[in-house]
Amino acid sequence: MEKKIALKANHLVKYFNQPEPFQVLKDLSFEVKSGEFLSLTGKSGSGKSTLLYILSTMDTAYGGELTINGIKLTGKSQDQLAAFRNEHIGFVFQFHYLLPEFTALENIMLPALKLKKKSREEIKEKAYQHLKLLGIEEQALKLSGKLSGGQQQRVAIARALINDPSIIMGDEPTGNLDSKNTQVVFDIFRELSEVYGQTIITVTHDDDFAKNTDRIIEMSDGRLC
Amino acid sequence: MLNTNYKIAGVYLTAKPRQTIVALLGVTFGISMYVFMISFVTGVNEMTNKLAFTSFAHIRIYNDGPKDNTDLISEKSNETALVNLRNAKVIKYTTGIKNPAELIKLLQHQPEVTGVTPQVNVSVFFRNGGNKINGMLSGVEVDAENRLFTIADYMVSGNWNSLKTQPNGIILGVKLAKSLRVGIDDNVNVLTAEGIMKNLKVIGVFKTNMGSIDGTKAYLNINSTRQMLAKNQSYVTDLQIMVNDYKVTAPLVQRLSTVVPYNTESWQTSNQQMYAQSKLYDMVARAVSFTILLVAGFGIYNIMNMTINEKIKEIAILKAMGYSGFDITVIFLTQALVIGVLGGIIGMLIGFCLGYIVELIPFKMGALDHLPMAYHVKDYLMAFLFGLATTFIAGYMPARKAAKIDPVEIIRS
Ligand SMILES: Nc1ncnc2c1ncn2[C@@H]1O[C@H](COP(=O)(O)OP(=O)(O)O)[C@@H](O)[C@H]1O
Ligand SMILES: [Mg+2]
Repeated sequence: MEKKIALKANHLVKYFNQPEPFQVLKDLSFEVKSGEFLSLTGKSGSGKSTLLYILSTMDTAYGGELTINGIKLTGKSQDQLAAFRNEHIGFVFQFHYLLPEFTALENIMLPALKLKKKSREEIKEKAYQHLKLLGIEEQALKLSGKLSGGQQQRVAIARALINDPSIIMGDEPTGNLDSKNTQVVFDIFRELSEVYGQTIITVTHDDDFAKNTDRIIEMSDGRLC
Repeated sequence: MLNTNYKIAGVYLTAKPRQTIVALLGVTFGISMYVFMISFVTGVNEMTNKLAFTSFAHIRIYNDGPKDNTDLISEKSNETALVNLRNAKVIKYTTGIKNPAELIKLLQHQPEVTGVTPQVNVSVFFRNGGNKINGMLSGVEVDAENRLFTIADYMVSGNWNSLKTQPNGIILGVKLAKSLRVGIDDNVNVLTAEGIMKNLKVIGVFKTNMGSIDGTKAYLNINSTRQMLAKNQSYVTDLQIMVNDYKVTAPLVQRLSTVVPYNTESWQTSNQQMYAQSKLYDMVARAVSFTILLVAGFGIYNIMNMTINEKIKEIAILKAMGYSGFDITVIFLTQALVIGVLGGIIGMLIGFCLGYIVELIPFKMGALDHLPMAYHVKDYLMAFLFGLATTFIAGYMPARKAAKIDPVEIIRS
């Protein structure tokens, strides 16, 4: 394959010490190519979310090495990683975390306002486009705390896309959506990967969803299988 | 970027108005109390000083008689000598200040001196028939005395300037006149320790509201006093000096004492009790206000801590989206500082109004007809800065805590 490597995980190991010492991730190594649409499946408790937090650079307490876009991220400081996430990674949480006292529009704009590559007006314009694409433009000026679960999840997806990140990660990003909206999100992800070359990694329990992605990585008990 | 952080801070401040208002009230209360109490204490101190300086000079130069000769032995003897001291006496010495005109000229050349006036002070008995009262007769230069002490403003009857035209006229303190049972145009007999006696006519009565002054002091023209004591036309016992800042007398006293062969004494030294008292008032007021501010600061600290605990999830999201620890610190510190600045401004306004209202309330006591208040920009500035510093510290600690939050820990749970 001549395509570039977007993400490289090298012997990732993760332990939890909390109730009792416990190895969640057992020596995971894999690569994801640029523009690849990847789904991560596996039983509940197999370590998918844990892996995704490491891949998204939020979790730094792991063994092994993580490289994204050729940049080795293991060992960087929290603030360096925050700046990296802001520019290169869009993340949709399993429980669509929004800031409830801000409108849907403001929530979407926040990462872009931090990145400061575009003017406020351009950012707003773009946020509106995403809202329209996801079918929730009428909710733009509502406080996000007042939206339904499905609407909040779509706002969270729009927020993940706002900075045109090279990698978009989602932890069951369609978990709260009906089949119609799930299809909308799938089509967006598909277009992003094919047309814009953005890499997508999503955890999903939806077999139909997974089947239509470029590649499925299945996890079981902290290992790839 | 800062704009976005400020905006987030603004949203958080307005989203929970009750908490914000409680924090704001704390600071407002602290600052207004600080401003009010300092206004009041400064007002009282300034009032007392103003009263005091109608009779005390900032600095006084006087001839205290010969130097202390009670210990004649240790100076003269050595270990082997036997000393026989018999019939020790104070030999005749010159009273008064020599060459006062020259000394006055020297004093007037000092940069901080705003006025100098000579006096001939003599301890006397005032008599009216069988009534005999010990007191102090002050021979003064009528115009100069008034320029320094504005004594004319304290006349309750008669006219200060009559001293110039009536060589045998005397002006008495109000309590002294009462004790002697005399009024305007009555006669008073004055008797010095040397046995000189003179009959004088009361031409005025003054009231300074300082009991000790009003009960013992009388004024006479300086030349009449010299004549009465049979002294020459340049005889002076005291030089009264006023300076531009009464709080700062030590350097001048220091300088003068090296060249002037007489006692040079500042009001701080001669009125140590008053000085200590005004310092103490000031300290107590500052301590109390500072405590109030500290409590307000603690209130802010608590509220900020609460806010951060409530918003811990949102802080984690902001960090997950790429906001740095510094951004988070700015967001929360801004909230504290907005509370500090707003509370400071409102507090200063309320403190000012409070002082203004209290000043309007009638309060009759001694020389007062209302409580004295002083409004100094310096005190307001101080209160504002104190308030800001308190809120900064109270806000900074929780904000740092927020900045250190690990986003995964929060998001995972
Ligand atoms: N904070 C934590 N402390 C201790 N154990 C945890 C923690 N989070 C997850 N685990 C455990 O790690 C394993 C993997 O969890 P997770 O990555 O959430 O699985 P998945 O997302 O695949 O359902 C589970 O057994 C879970 O109980
Ligand atoms: Mg999970």
